[in-house]
Amino acid sequence: MAIHEIWVYLSGSPLLALILTLGAYHAGVLAYERAGRHPLANPVLIAVTLIALIITTIDMPYAQYFEGAQFVHFLLGTATVALAVPIYEGLGALRGRIVPLFLALLAGGAVSIASAVGIAKLLHADPAIVGALWPKSVTAPIAMGVAERIHVSPTLTAVFAVTTGILGAVLARYVLDAVGAKAWWQRGFALGVASHGIGTSRAFSVSEEAGTYASLAMGLHGILGAVAIPLVAQLFRPV
Amino acid sequence: MIGGLVRILAFQGLGELVSKFALPLVPGPVIGLVLLLAFLAARRSVPEGTRLVASTLVQHLGLLFVPAAVGVVLFWPQLASHAMAVALALVASVVLTIAVPALVLRVLSKGS
Repeated sequence: MAIHEIWVYLSGSPLLALILTLGAYHAGVLAYERAGRHPLANPVLIAVTLIALIITTIDMPYAQYFEGAQFVHFLLGTATVALAVPIYEGLGALRGRIVPLFLALLAGGAVSIASAVGIAKLLHADPAIVGALWPKSVTAPIAMGVAERIHVSPTLTAVFAVTTGILGAVLARYVLDAVGAKAWWQRGFALGVASHGIGTSRAFSVSEEAGTYASLAMGLHGILGAVAIPLVAQLFRPV
Repeated sequence: MIGGLVRILAFQGLGELVSKFALPLVPGPVIGLVLLLAFLAARRSVPEGTRLVASTLVQHLGLLFVPAAVGVVLFWPQLASHAMAVALALVASVVLTIAVPALVLRVLSKGS
């Protein structure tokens, strides 16, 4: 049997895309561990880069890759629902601080959109890119759902969300020191508002208290973003 | 474990239904999330199976958006020609989005 036949057989089933997806992500996780969990060695970033290189090299169209990988993609919605558990467990941290935390979240969410969309527009970025920046500070699984609702590409949004997460995790220390935020709960919450899951895991690696507040911020920003962004976007960018 | 998965999938389905017929602006899984959160709050505890499934899913959340993110290959030309705008927007925005909530919290919790 020729190699070619094996190839045709394999690429016709979802198996190849599944192995590629899980294998690349596994490689990403190993690299992340080896790099001492440095935010720049983000497993998603590594996996996406590897898969993009491989499917480009073997000339596999993205649509064909996705047909196999959709089984992984489907679980995204399920995982979004599952976020209720960590949010529920973090709710206790709200006690006594509910007003400042909500004001901080609202301010952060508004600034995130206004600054990203404003700068991109000012620099004449493509409308498709500007639109996809709206939900980028919301955790990626929710951001992608929001992207569909405001008619922009969930893919671009996912890429911007992951990049934002990595940038936030890398830069947070310097920004938080510059604004003089010393308390762990304040530092963690600010990081969670800006850079969701990736920021949260960064916060947990520094302080348990910071991590709890980051996780709470990520969850609340996810819910607020899902409700508010489509409404606000409707006002500013009529379809 | 399977019971936990069934519960989470049921809330996801419920969320999709509410989104489809009542709240089309909010994504179904987020409605499912809020409903599950309300269920947990009413029950005042997390069932063991649900906790197990949820922590597994949340722990590997990154894996689940890989297939969609690989779609970036379709946007290469667009992103490359707007690289400067995208980079500036993302960096400036993340710095401000960290700074502003931190400042709000610092100012509002002074003296407490």
